[in-house]
Amino acid sequence: MEAMVSKLLIALCWATLACAAQPPQKIFPYAYSQEDLPNGLRLVTVPTDYPNIVATFIVVQTGARNEVEPGHTGFAHLFEHLMFKGTEKFPPARYNETLNRIGAASNASTSDDFTVYHTTFSREDVETVLQMEADRFQNLKYSEAEFKTETLAVLGEYNKNSSNTFRKLNEVLSDTAFDRHTYKHSAMGFLRDIQDMPNQYDYSLKFFDRYYRPEYTTIIVVGDVNPKAVRELAAKYWGMWKHGSYRPDIPTEPPQSAPRTGHVDWPQQTLPIMTVAFKGPAYTDSAKDTAALDVLAMLAFSPNSDLYQKLVIQEQRADTLGANAPTSMDPALFTISARLKKAADLAYVQEQVLATIQTFQEKPVDAARLDTVRKRLRYGVALSMDNSETIAAIVSEYVALRRSPDTMNKLFEQYASLSPEDVRQAATRYLVEKGRTIVTLTGPGGEQ
Amino acid sequence: MRRLVPFLLLAAAVPAQIRTVALPSKSPLVTFRIVFTTGSASDPAGKYGLAYLTAMMLANGGTENLTYKQVVDAFYPMASGLSAQVDVEMCTFSGATHVDNLSGYYNLLRGMLLTPGWREDDFKRVKDDAINALKVGLRGNNDEELAKELLYQNIHEGTPYGHYSGGWVSALEAITLDDVKQFYRSQYTQSHLILGIAGGYTEVFLEKMQKDFRKLPEDGGLQPRITPPRQIESTRVVIVEKDTRSVAISLGFPIRVTRGSPDYPALLLASTYLGQHRMSSGVLYDRMREQRGLNYGDYSYIEYFPRGMFLMEPQPNLARQQQIFQLWIRPVEPPTAKFALRLALFELDKLCREGLSQEAFERTRGFLTKYVNVLTKTKRAELGYAIDSAYYRIPQYNSYLKSALAKLTREDVNGAIKTNLRTSRLVISVVSKNAEELKRQLASDDPSPMTYNSPKPAALTGEDKTVERWPLNLKAADIVVKAVGEVFQ
Repeated sequence: MEAMVSKLLIALCWATLACAAQPPQKIFPYAYSQEDLPNGLRLVTVPTDYPNIVATFIVVQTGARNEVEPGHTGFAHLFEHLMFKGTEKFPPARYNETLNRIGAASNASTSDDFTVYHTTFSREDVETVLQMEADRFQNLKYSEAEFKTETLAVLGEYNKNSSNTFRKLNEVLSDTAFDRHTYKHSAMGFLRDIQDMPNQYDYSLKFFDRYYRPEYTTIIVVGDVNPKAVRELAAKYWGMWKHGSYRPDIPTEPPQSAPRTGHVDWPQQTLPIMTVAFKGPAYTDSAKDTAALDVLAMLAFSPNSDLYQKLVIQEQRADTLGANAPTSMDPALFTISARLKKAADLAYVQEQVLATIQTFQEKPVDAARLDTVRKRLRYGVALSMDNSETIAAIVSEYVALRRSPDTMNKLFEQYASLSPEDVRQAATRYLVEKGRTIVTLTGPGGEQ
Repeated sequence: MRRLVPFLLLAAAVPAQIRTVALPSKSPLVTFRIVFTTGSASDPAGKYGLAYLTAMMLANGGTENLTYKQVVDAFYPMASGLSAQVDVEMCTFSGATHVDNLSGYYNLLRGMLLTPGWREDDFKRVKDDAINALKVGLRGNNDEELAKELLYQNIHEGTPYGHYSGGWVSALEAITLDDVKQFYRSQYTQSHLILGIAGGYTEVFLEKMQKDFRKLPEDGGLQPRITPPRQIESTRVVIVEKDTRSVAISLGFPIRVTRGSPDYPALLLASTYLGQHRMSSGVLYDRMREQRGLNYGDYSYIEYFPRGMFLMEPQPNLARQQQIFQLWIRPVEPPTAKFALRLALFELDKLCREGLSQEAFERTRGFLTKYVNVLTKTKRAELGYAIDSAYYRIPQYNSYLKSALAKLTREDVNGAIKTNLRTSRLVISVVSKNAEELKRQLASDDPSPMTYNSPKPAALTGEDKTVERWPLNLKAADIVVKAVGEVFQ
């Protein structure tokens, strides 16, 4: 049926948004094409000069955030599994056999905001991959029995993660900090919901029908490819996919009115961990908030920060310290985490973290240090883009937010425009006591 | 297209030359992999972890002229650093820089590797980190890795590989900074050095680098002869008792095959047929996870693959003279642990008895022939594989494997299976709570029936009837239970 569609007609119908080479100053150094099919599917093709290899990253803007109904957390992640259950045309055995034959590395992952399916393979197999991917996105079919078995693999994944202290602490942190928004649960979902998944076959069909739609999906193709040929293949295999109509009603998190705390008693010997978190903004590249908080995280808590040098290198009370600024679709947490050598130092380290924040709120940072961070950010990108698969992975994170690689350029333009006062203002606006949640984790007896 | 052949200059032939693996290109990046062919196999008795601490002191400490803070500050705007990987026979220092920063980056790297600062406060921090990596990282937070490392240690007990590369807690506590300096002086020598470099550097730069590294002592200190593990007379089990949700299992036995062996391509193909990490086409993945929902995945390897849960593919520069065959069974729910173990052995037995069909052979060969491109997709990996090829004295890995696979027959593979694989005389390593109860179960011939949450085909439930009674041939005396605090102590 795909062949019935006129390639020319499709080509004419597509809205070509950007096809020209990027100016050299852009952080994303590759010329790319970005086009929309009439059904809402977006295609981003990035030819690179790395020979032979092609990577496809298919981003579905559905993650833990979209799991709005109680009792059904973890379903976006469950689909990351179910999508390998096959179709009539490509049952799992044939799907796997084909991937096997073409020597492809294939996998998927799920986060708060999106699910991404990726495959890396040799360039002569582009059509095979795009055809198989199109088929499973449109015609996924699994029986209730297959569904039930796969939910056990998800439980197996929870189990293999369950010996990790940071994962447990993050679960408790999200649950403590959020009341209504779906960021309250991790992408894995609550354990009780994972254990109930085998009973939710009908709900899974509904979930797929809602979210596995072209308007939620962007195909990213990076590597030794010709954009025109990729465009024709996308039209041929993905052009018939039907646009959906579902829009989730994602609850707005009410403002936090007082600081919160949480604690995890870990049954095994471990080092104590402390996370200090603050309610931050949603991702933005049209204002300075995201860029300013990201830079703040680096200036205040990365390995060359004064606090890291003090706690990790000089006093040696902590073995790790770091911070993450939020880059999510909706307002999320700015987190500072430290792993300590003794539980007796928890109060001291908390005090040091809060004092550091206060310093950044009171005094603009040194402009030279800000420039150093900007330099690091740019070289960090240059160093990581050393193969087509990694380039596709980087692009996918920005596409997940705004469906375009240009998102990356816009964010870096914000970094470039930041002043020391912008960083100070972001610290003052977001790192406030009433938006704070502190969660600690200690081993038996509170000591290691 | 570029066709870059690594060149190798053997120090033995031309003593004044440094062994170098170089992959020049027009890339704006320069990647370094500096390998010393020494590692934890050279740890003196009672000083397990000395090679590890020495490498960590170099990668995470200051230089003669710069404190560690100054090193961190200097690397910071470059978005780079130097990382260390320590294995039994290789210590690898790797990093990359944009050519804009090549001179500054190299000065740091040179200072760290050739003129270390040896400060007591750096040593205290690095030693604390090493001890916590064992106590908290390996024993506390990673049951799968714990089972896997325990398997290696148990198999190699009594040989230079017989302790974890990251050391043992009590040994690390006793190691002094003088021990570290002594290890550096005796082992970080030109004769143990392979310089690896790739990307957009100049010939002049490489010559300067080689000249700099000639400042290292020429001759290496003594290294132990790497001996094969002792014969495993009968299957033995070690269970680590730990309060944890699920049961992690690794099992294996020594093989005489390494990357340079004639049987390597055939055995790699057989192992790939059983399955590699996250490849849904593997037999174990299909039978254990996909059909029965036992866990998150199950895989087979014939080369050391540490940190597997964080990596899609094995990292290079873990070259070894002795390897084992291993099955990695990801954590299962406790009631299914015995069945999962039996099923893994049932599948291994089937492979040993029946070998691969012609169709499976061709499919797996096709996969590996192309997948090797994926293994070497980054400059970092390409350089690492080239260094390993130099170590094993084989041609460039991609061409070596592709050409070997092209010549391979199904009979070669099935012959290699017969020669090298088995289901008896194993070591089985388990991390679980209620270890004594699990020991009792494993030592009994009682069936371990499997129940499912959905109907299964008759063929599968029929097969389960065989699997649930699969003989483990274990007696209580074959099974040792250890408290988690005892291992790597």
